[in-house]
Amino acid sequence: MSVLTGPEVSRAAREHAGIELSGVTKRFPTPGGATFTALRDVDLAVEPGQFCAVVGPTGCGKSTTLTLVAGLDRPSAGVVQVAGRIVDGIVTGTSFMFQADALLPWKTVLANVAMGPVFRGVTRKQAQASAREWLHVVGLAGFENHYPHQLSGGMRKRVSLAAALINEPSVLLMDEPFAALDVQTKAIMSNELLTLWERTRPSVIFVTHDLEEAIALADRVVVMTAGPGTVKGVYDIDLPRPRGAVQEIRFQPRFVELQQQIWQALRDEVQRAYARNAAARVPEEVGRS
Amino acid sequence: MSRKPATTEVAAIAEARSAIRPQPAAEEAAISARLRQRGSRNRWLIWAARAATLLVVLGGWQLFTTWKIVDPFFFGQPSGIVRQLSSWARSGTEYGSLWLQVWITMKEALLGFALGVAGGVVFGVLLGQIRLLADVLGPYIKAMNALPRIVLGSIFVVWLGLGTTSKVMLAAVLVFFVVFFNAFQGVREVDRNFVANARVLGASRLQIVRHVVLPSALTWIIASLHVAFGFAIIGAIVGEFLGAQKGLGLVIATAQNNFNPDGVFAAMLIIAVLALTAEALISRLERRLLAWRPPAPTEAGSA
Repeated sequence: MSVLTGPEVSRAAREHAGIELSGVTKRFPTPGGATFTALRDVDLAVEPGQFCAVVGPTGCGKSTTLTLVAGLDRPSAGVVQVAGRIVDGIVTGTSFMFQADALLPWKTVLANVAMGPVFRGVTRKQAQASAREWLHVVGLAGFENHYPHQLSGGMRKRVSLAAALINEPSVLLMDEPFAALDVQTKAIMSNELLTLWERTRPSVIFVTHDLEEAIALADRVVVMTAGPGTVKGVYDIDLPRPRGAVQEIRFQPRFVELQQQIWQALRDEVQRAYARNAAARVPEEVGRS
Repeated sequence: MSRKPATTEVAAIAEARSAIRPQPAAEEAAISARLRQRGSRNRWLIWAARAATLLVVLGGWQLFTTWKIVDPFFFGQPSGIVRQLSSWARSGTEYGSLWLQVWITMKEALLGFALGVAGGVVFGVLLGQIRLLADVLGPYIKAMNALPRIVLGSIFVVWLGLGTTSKVMLAAVLVFFVVFFNAFQGVREVDRNFVANARVLGASRLQIVRHVVLPSALTWIIASLHVAFGFAIIGAIVGEFLGAQKGLGLVIATAQNNFNPDGVFAAMLIIAVLALTAEALISRLERRLLAWRPPAPTEAGSA
């Protein structure tokens, strides 16, 4: 895989940023005039360089957590800290990978990846050169001048990944990034994500509703309750790294053990969320066991 | 019937198949040739039908007026229109050469178009981006849009005189509202994910407008340009109608006062040609600026 030859990232030069949420509550006004509590009293800590997965039923405020850490929104109460500093606006050194494509359809693949450096004031030429390198890293050399609509879903995710990593973030926030992919592509992308992550070791919050994915990727799995979201349990995943293929790690006895343990906690929340939503719509399937 | 062994059965089927079906490459070529043939036949048919339609309408018009079933004094005649056009081309109109009239009207329309588009885009983006501004100015803009703005032409003539400026202003006002509402809506419809992503990547407010908001709204803005150019021509012509010293609108008004329907139709024909040319140019601009869009599924069938 071309992943090993890429832009050299000065790992030592960048300090890794830990993430800490303490007593965070987020409320939104609803159109009816009432308030909706998305998060209640959330305490969450991600150590520097740690890969933390957040699982929970649909609508438990997982995505809201990410927007608060990114500084896109502010908590109604409590404090969010990144690298020891209180988040108050956009945090430099943070990258966000959205569930839906955030690639601009009117920019070529190259221009999309080069956006991060361009926004930070790097010259166009330099930005494009480093975008080229990152496209090579994610295995998309030769597609520089394509438009996003000309790529497959998996390829678009690769572009998003390159666009997120080009700023060499110390915090990487991922909101169900691979949810829309088919199972095989998802596995491939997960492997590549791990390889890239291990090279630069940013702190990661990876939101997913797939428990297997969470355990296979993460150092720590946080289970959240059905809305309003609170932290129900934190589980440290002691599977060795590098993890290798995510498809195979699932068969290890320790993996199965962890999965059963966490699923116990998750199941109640899933059922509660399901009961609540049953009248309105069928929620997405959460995990499998 | 005796049962053959399976292998010979398969071989027999394959043989029969290859006998029925030509080789894949030849087959593909035949299919594409047939498609091309059908395509070109359809195109010919469509063009022939178009020509026939024109012939029936114009021929009918000419014949009915010649036979005096319809009075040519009121309805004009295709031959009269052609005569009128050639006389204008040769000896000019009452207000100077025909080309001068065309040039004046086009200049007014184009200037008004440019002004109106610029104003519409600037205000549309500003109000779309700044909530407070939209809330404050929104009702006034809606109220102004509800007015019959064509009447403003009379006021502009009083304010700005009989020259081109009053026509440019009228055209600009008509164009402005079309473009403004589209630009405003386009800005409002920008995908929030795009904006959030750009913000996280470190984009300033101006960079977001330039890289995300404007390109996204461009689809809407360009769609409005087709209608807007029509309004620009209407503004110029009506402005000239209301009081002018030169221009196609004045030529039409004069022909009307002289009970010369051929003159009115001839000027209309010229305006139609101009408008169609402009439309083609805008379509080309649209294709150039929106080249990133995936081809629409219907596009392959048309044109």
